[in-house]
Amino acid sequence: MRPEDYLAEGEMAWCPGCGNFAIRKALAQALSALALPPERVVLVTGIGQAAKIVHYLKVNGFNGLHGRTIAAAAGIKMANPTLTVIAESGDGDLYGEGGNHLLHNIRRNLDIAVIAHDNRVYGLTKGQASPTAPKGYTTRAQPFGVLSRPLNPLALALALGAGFVAQSFSGEVERTAEIIARAIRYKGFALVNVVHPCPSWNRVHTFAWYKERLWPVEEAGHDPQDRRAALAVALEAGERIPVGVLLEAPPEPTWEERHPVLQKGPLVGRPLPRPEELRSLLAEFF
Amino acid sequence: MELVVRLAGAAGQGIQSLGEILARSLFRSGFFLHGELSYHSRIRGGENAFTVRLADRPVFATRRDADLLVVLTPEMGRTWGERLRPGAWVVAEEGAFPPGPRVLGLPALRLAREKLGLPLAQGVVLLGAAARLLGLDLDRVGAAVREVFGAKSEPNLQALALGWELAPPQAWELPSPAFAAGTHMLLTGGQAVGAGAIAAGCRYLASYPMTPGTPVMEFLAQRAERYGLVVEQAEDEIAAINMALGAAYAGARAMVTTSGGGFALMVEGLSLAGMIETPVVIHLGQRPGPATGLPTRTAQENLLFALYAGHGEFPRYLTAPATPEAAFYATMKAFELAEAFQVPAILLTDQFLVDSYVVVPALDPARVPMREHILSLEEIAQMEHYERFALTSTGVSPRAVPGLSPHLVLVDSDEHDFYGRITEDLAIRKAMVEKRLKKEEGLREATDLPEAFPESLRGRTVLLGWGSTFGALREAVEALNAEEDRYAHVHFQDLWPLRWAEVAELLEPAREVITVEGNVWGQLGKLLRQETGIRPMRHLARYDGRPFTPEDVVEGVRRAP
Repeated sequence: MRPEDYLAEGEMAWCPGCGNFAIRKALAQALSALALPPERVVLVTGIGQAAKIVHYLKVNGFNGLHGRTIAAAAGIKMANPTLTVIAESGDGDLYGEGGNHLLHNIRRNLDIAVIAHDNRVYGLTKGQASPTAPKGYTTRAQPFGVLSRPLNPLALALALGAGFVAQSFSGEVERTAEIIARAIRYKGFALVNVVHPCPSWNRVHTFAWYKERLWPVEEAGHDPQDRRAALAVALEAGERIPVGVLLEAPPEPTWEERHPVLQKGPLVGRPLPRPEELRSLLAEFF
Repeated sequence: MELVVRLAGAAGQGIQSLGEILARSLFRSGFFLHGELSYHSRIRGGENAFTVRLADRPVFATRRDADLLVVLTPEMGRTWGERLRPGAWVVAEEGAFPPGPRVLGLPALRLAREKLGLPLAQGVVLLGAAARLLGLDLDRVGAAVREVFGAKSEPNLQALALGWELAPPQAWELPSPAFAAGTHMLLTGGQAVGAGAIAAGCRYLASYPMTPGTPVMEFLAQRAERYGLVVEQAEDEIAAINMALGAAYAGARAMVTTSGGGFALMVEGLSLAGMIETPVVIHLGQRPGPATGLPTRTAQENLLFALYAGHGEFPRYLTAPATPEAAFYATMKAFELAEAFQVPAILLTDQFLVDSYVVVPALDPARVPMREHILSLEEIAQMEHYERFALTSTGVSPRAVPGLSPHLVLVDSDEHDFYGRITEDLAIRKAMVEKRLKKEEGLREATDLPEAFPESLRGRTVLLGWGSTFGALREAVEALNAEEDRYAHVHFQDLWPLRWAEVAELLEPAREVITVEGNVWGQLGKLLRQETGIRPMRHLARYDGRPFTPEDVVEGVRRAP
């Protein structure tokens, strides 16, 4: 299928100039490059402008609660590991409201790809700081500037042992598409943080601001098999914005590969228990 | 005929295992029994008591006073020493109970340490003495020791024999066996919920440990491989419900188990289940609140919470089984109705029901027919277009799951159109609200009306209860009627949605209604008044964390209002 075959028609609720358009395009390209049938893909999103992407693509969709994107994705993957499960949402959803699910699903190592739209602000609620906003960033809700340090999603994922950790910039659609495709293909938990401008609310971190700070790490000789080097890159992020695959470690067995029950196939489609099974179940109470 | 045996000690002294051994021995001897576990929220020390009531007829309630008290610590001797019936016996660790007639003090700890090198077998020594007093068969008790202790049985069997030798024989005439082997089962409410879930085809459980929800999770986890379930300990209850909904969306029958605090965290997910019309069964084992409350005690404080939890308006099924037998069938029914109507189903139990051992007639899964409610491959192959939220006369849309056909399946927490796409079209919004709520009509036809005993309530004072108080209320009404035949018991299992006009009709001939609930507010009474206009005259409340006993209810009814 061509990339455009994955795009759903209809009105979109994003602002002109939003990075979400480019990420949508990149995701469609990635799905096309991997030749994934739409009915075999489940796109799980939460709430926020980024999360609306599920309505603008022609794949299966679970548009759940704010912050619970990865939790729902985990349940779907556990029930049917044969599906390609992608969890995609904004920085507020994945790193703020849903931080605990990010932590523990990195530990689980299900074969899911997480795509974070990181624009450092909450768009839909009109511009408050997100967990990735830098110290001192002022908004109507943070008049004294953000007092907390920003969350570093790349360092966090690397420290917890995620096997695939990458970052890209929405202004580079080809690179973003290629990285997303690698993340989906990667067997295990994969995080792609896509930084992008918010033309409506973020007047500091503009398209041009990102553009001049991009640091393509693989071209600069970074070895994506080296977790320590990846962590060094992630910790240096700030004035420089690393883009590319920081880590693509040799895959470890995934949660679903290690679960004995799932070795016999997905949960979906299993018949109701047979009477003789139930007899043996209830025999323990005699 | 009945006998009440209470085993009491500190946490860490194995009271639960002793109780289980005693319950199994009595069950295998053909007696009905109720075994109640009462414990403090700690790993060591405090109170642990297991009260076994054996009878020649089915019993679903516990008793306040015992005929035989087995105590391991002086603290428990003081706590339970006043809760004895006339003629009671006490078997006590030396020094744990004042000497007296019918008090058998044994150096059980010293014997266990010196003769067996296993101080922990102290309780089994005392149990051996108690078993002989009760007139039980030593081999039968030994077999129960093997069942409970498995590979660690040998020293415990010796401990049992040591105690047996030190006790006088048979102090009571036990009833003759009330049932033959193979006709009855012994299980707890927690085990019944777990077994009911497997019988209903549950394939997925995600939960965070919380008393008294945890026994269901552990029951399923231990049988997951054999019966083909995935049981996952979630990072929190919010994850648990969202994982379960993800699994259900993907086509696995899914469940969560928790208590009030965890359910509070799940509430947004409950609302999501309503919105995306995805079935999920929620086992909510109640304990006293607010907040952390009394973690290991029992209560019925969450009826109105379970009924109204969740923002927005959507249908749900709410049911509160009375006994382990009822819990098994109710769990199956909860899965069936959740699947049939694509709604969340809440199974409301409590610590008393979850932890109590009861002898029930052999369970028969065929009593609750289970059907497949997901579109078959043949059915979906015939559909040219598929809309997950298509309008139908019942409000229930044909349900497909992702990946099994070329059709895409989209669900959305936002208001959505028939396909599942986000919409702010207010005409569609209105249609979708009506569609979702329409399902409640079908669901209401599938729920059971409360059960009245005796059938005609004319002129009677009705004791109204729900859930696990069934046994205490039924026995109280029998006791009250033996003196003056003017009482009745009305028991609610299904709580929502109900055909309330029929409930009103049922209660209309009664002289007065008294609610008996493990809460202060009289929550069922409030619901009854709201839905029927019937106002209970009195409310008997229990909120000290312990279950109602029949004598509590009788005394409460007799006390001037």
